[in-house]
Amino acid sequence: MKALTAQDLFLIDELQTRYIYALDSKNIPGWLETFAEAPDASYICTTQESVERNLPLALIMDDCYARLQDRVTYITKIWAGTFQDYRTRHFTQRVNAAKLSHDTVAVHTNFTVIYTPEDNGSSEVLTAGVYEDVVKLADGGAQFLSKKAVTDTSVLPRYLVYPL
Amino acid sequence: MTLTVNQGVLWPAHTNEVPKEVFIRPDIFEEELKRIFYGPEWHPVAHESEVPKPGDFKTFSLGKVPLIINRDMEGRVHVFFNACAHRGNQLETATAGNKTEFECPYHRWLFSASGDLVGCPAEAEFAPGFQRKDFPLAQPRMEMFYGLIFVTFSPLTPDLDTWLEDAQSGLKEALGVDGRLKLLGYQKVRYRTNWKAYNDNDGYHAPLLHSAFRMLNWQGGAGRQYATRQHGHVIFTSSMTVAPKNTLLKDPSVVAFRGSDPTRGSRLAQLFPTFIATSHMDVISLRFAIPLNVNETEVHYAYFSHLDDDAEMEKHRLRQSSNLLGPCGLVSMEDASVFHRVHIGNHTPGVVTFQKGVKDPDSLEQEFKQNDEAGNLPRWEYYRRTMGFERQAL
Repeated sequence: MKALTAQDLFLIDELQTRYIYALDSKNIPGWLETFAEAPDASYICTTQESVERNLPLALIMDDCYARLQDRVTYITKIWAGTFQDYRTRHFTQRVNAAKLSHDTVAVHTNFTVIYTPEDNGSSEVLTAGVYEDVVKLADGGAQFLSKKAVTDTSVLPRYLVYPL
Repeated sequence: MTLTVNQGVLWPAHTNEVPKEVFIRPDIFEEELKRIFYGPEWHPVAHESEVPKPGDFKTFSLGKVPLIINRDMEGRVHVFFNACAHRGNQLETATAGNKTEFECPYHRWLFSASGDLVGCPAEAEFAPGFQRKDFPLAQPRMEMFYGLIFVTFSPLTPDLDTWLEDAQSGLKEALGVDGRLKLLGYQKVRYRTNWKAYNDNDGYHAPLLHSAFRMLNWQGGAGRQYATRQHGHVIFTSSMTVAPKNTLLKDPSVVAFRGSDPTRGSRLAQLFPTFIATSHMDVISLRFAIPLNVNETEVHYAYFSHLDDDAEMEKHRLRQSSNLLGPCGLVSMEDASVFHRVHIGNHTPGVVTFQKGVKDPDSLEQEFKQNDEAGNLPRWEYYRRTMGFERQAL
């Protein structure tokens, strides 16, 4: 297995940037496109507290590609018009990357999400934590095989409409 | 008993109206802590399956009062005030863990898992007559119902069986029938709403607010809702079927029944003042709410499997529980948003009105249809009386 190259890191960072840009633009189909179209592609959002206690329950458990597709339906169709909308700004910093195979990489990336509800216009921290991702590298662009958002925030300051 | 807080709250004459000011006045919140949360009511603080092994503990708050709920080395469940028996220092800071002893770091007083004082440095120089047995960790009154741990701070609270009235069978069913549960985990959130608005959800809104019910052709309907005579505890039972073919979801497991009987697909026990136990499809959930202040309520949604589940059933419950109910759930995210919006709206003058299922606005019923909102009214009446708010004459 070769070491990570500058090109690998470029692909990883470009993917993470595309991911947060899609969320911060409320482009939910664009969020889905950052995941590999593999049956077991997954997005899990959980808390550090749950991880440390070995509690498997998650805040969001989209543990197959079908559920990732359904997440788009929840947000764009089922929930439309019912919630107080809010804008997010994600700030990320890659902190670790290690090759798992010739074309897959385990990546840890710290995140902070600032949110601004439309009704009160006041920006606050929604959550801070770390993404624990498995990224598949490809010449045309990298994709997530799995993405796990582990929040340090054990008590959310608000309900979540959008994935973190 | 008349109170200063009573000044300015004149409760409407009709039983289906609630003055909005009770949701937003800080003085009323402080009085609620005294009369309700620290008063003669029972408050669930944990299920024993959250502390399954000797030494397991969790911390929680009843109102502003910090508690430790633990299982001692002999397997007995205790609830302690989370404060050292010496100078009152907060004893445990973690939300959960396993400890055979609790040590206060301040002067190193040491307590066993059953709350006995087993160590205190420089004891020979203590006040005359000091005995360790006089300084155990203090414990509020505690009783259990199918593993659900209730506490009360008042000596006037009746025994739990009496207090539960005829909510007992409904609560038992919502606790997985026999209370033999296994903790799957938590979703914790802080809502910007008064605890009573969080608490005031109803059977009327479900197919209206939650588009998933319509889009999935999800049928509720047959069922029962009743309120107990004194406290207004509410028990819901309703059937629930999901159309076998849906074109909306690619993975319909989130709304699939695997073990529960769909004719009793949604069971919910809501106890005064804030606790909810629900068994909804294959989700078993207990919702513990903490009223933080007049504007904020913290809710811990705890989810469980049943000890008799096989691995496949447990996995199904886990996948359904993570995505169906709670602050990010398919049929509950909208509720969370409504909690916030109702609290903003409650700053406007006047009263809120209940209509669906109200047969006579000058009396109270106990039996309701499962999709009525009038089932909340006996609880409001008990609240009004508990708070000493006088009702206007007709």
